[in-house]
Amino acid sequence: MNITRLSWRNLTSSPLNTTLSLLLMTFGVGIISLLLLLNNEVEQQLQRNLRGIDMVVGAKGSPLQLILSSVYHVDNPTGNISFEEANELNKNPLVESTIPLSFGDSYNGFKIVGTTHDYVELYQGVLKEGQLWTYPLEAVLGSAVAEVNQLKLGDTFHGSHGLVEGGHIHDEHTYYVVGILEPSNSVLDNLILTNTESIWLVHHPETDHHECDDPDHHHHEHDESTGHHSNTDMMITSMLVTFKSPIGLIQIPRKINETTNLQAAVPSFEINRLVNLLGFGVQTINMIAIIIILVSGLSIFISLYNSLKKRRYELALMRVHGASRWQMVQLVLQEGLFLSIIGALFGIVISRIALFVMPLFLDLKYGLNTIPIGLIKEELWLFPLALIIGLSASFIPIIQTYNINIPKTLSNA
Amino acid sequence: MLKTQSVCFSYDSSRTFQFPDIQLVEGQNLLILGQSGVGKTTFIQILAGLLHPNSGFIDLNDTKINQLSSKDLDHFRGKNIGMVFQRPHFVKNLSIIENLELSLYLSNNPSDKKRAMELLDQIGLADKYNQKPDQLSEGEQQRASIALAVLKNPDLILADEPTSSLDDINCQTIVTLLKEQAASTNAHLIIITHDQRLKNEFNNTITL
Repeated sequence: MNITRLSWRNLTSSPLNTTLSLLLMTFGVGIISLLLLLNNEVEQQLQRNLRGIDMVVGAKGSPLQLILSSVYHVDNPTGNISFEEANELNKNPLVESTIPLSFGDSYNGFKIVGTTHDYVELYQGVLKEGQLWTYPLEAVLGSAVAEVNQLKLGDTFHGSHGLVEGGHIHDEHTYYVVGILEPSNSVLDNLILTNTESIWLVHHPETDHHECDDPDHHHHEHDESTGHHSNTDMMITSMLVTFKSPIGLIQIPRKINETTNLQAAVPSFEINRLVNLLGFGVQTINMIAIIIILVSGLSIFISLYNSLKKRRYELALMRVHGASRWQMVQLVLQEGLFLSIIGALFGIVISRIALFVMPLFLDLKYGLNTIPIGLIKEELWLFPLALIIGLSASFIPIIQTYNINIPKTLSNA
Repeated sequence: MLKTQSVCFSYDSSRTFQFPDIQLVEGQNLLILGQSGVGKTTFIQILAGLLHPNSGFIDLNDTKINQLSSKDLDHFRGKNIGMVFQRPHFVKNLSIIENLELSLYLSNNPSDKKRAMELLDQIGLADKYNQKPDQLSEGEQQRASIALAVLKNPDLILADEPTSSLDDINCQTIVTLLKEQAASTNAHLIIITHDQRLKNEFNNTITL
């Protein structure tokens, strides 16, 4: 029998108090830990998919929408732009490379993107089987697309109009699967890739029979203002641009926005804006979680204080048996620290369990269970926080324990 | 041996106690009788080093205990003085045997479960070793508290009203036990009480 075992025994002897304090600490820490994990994952996903894209050029509209639709494929595109006009960018000596993107069709909810092989390279996509497209209407599937739709090499499918399920089916043009990509943990996984000409082919020559009935779809808008008669139909949705030097970042976006009909958006800037917007919500929940942790500290304090009131005589008795002041302080302190540290550990574990359980209830298309469950560095401050809470909750009981008046306590028992 | 001299203590100016000098030689016991309010408990707490006398000294086997630092005193008390109180008290979350082991740990004695069990056997509680204190009857609890006081072989056993809440049979058992245990560990036994039943049990008696 020693002090540590006695602390432990005291905790297990009042299971209700102990459970309450532990639960509060567990939930407080658990919520913060879960938020940190999700936040971290979102930021990492955002960064991962950003790759080396310095600038996105598309139709005028919201710059954030342009980034979300062209880089992350989570929003509708802003409109179409002339391929030729966008291609002018390649003449600028500050531009390293450009990748055109054309989309507006989907298959079972998965976006069909017309682009070049550079796009696959940008995300370091690796072919699992087959090869990249060579001719129009040859399609390469992201890993999730192939898996969800059970598509194999050589299978065929028809694109449907718009980015959600249920649009008009382009059944006059059949896509042919020539390649399937390995999972890359990037947007590629959820895209169907083909060349830009495929998109043009599916939508031209125009019959205009489905124009205007779908705002998501922009390949049929004829931008007369470009003035290039022969190329008015050669539209793309956007163009991803990388610069040779940071100077490009300073000069080119402004020049485009001021002098052309195109819109240039800088992803890193827009993402910062987005994260700041999201950050407000995260901070609010964080505040709530911190309040829960503080309440757990209060609960630890109350349970220590009450049990100490009842056990005052025990402490005096142990002092008579030869215990030093510091041993008794250790006894009380350990009870507080056990509660807070174990609560914090439970919280970390609970947040991991929540990551696995949440997708079952939230019907998430892409599971959260790809998130690594190791400790992230932002979580490390939760332990000092728990420690400080445990220490401050034990503070008053410790002072009382240290200053206990043995003869008086024994006489009053 | 135990020796006290000119021990004086005051809680405030109106309540000052002057205690008689005591001198006990090897193996000698002492019964201190007194009515309530004459400072019985105060005296025993001074003897135990729990209260500091205003003047005088207490010498146990050549250690002047009122001159020790608070830390050394905790240590000295744990090693050399066993106390029995009017109402037995334990660490209630621990079983009887665990209470005994804890007292050994706190007094820096090596763990000795065998001796603890022997002692419980001697006081007739061997079969209750694993029970919590509040599962025992009052007489049993008082016996267990004697085990707690004598387990570490102290030089001085101090008992404050150990029998006043017990019936005659239990009273007799407790006194016999205390005397036996004091004799077996060669300790001084000092009982402070107003319980007149004990008067004939001791030949060395003083009245406060």
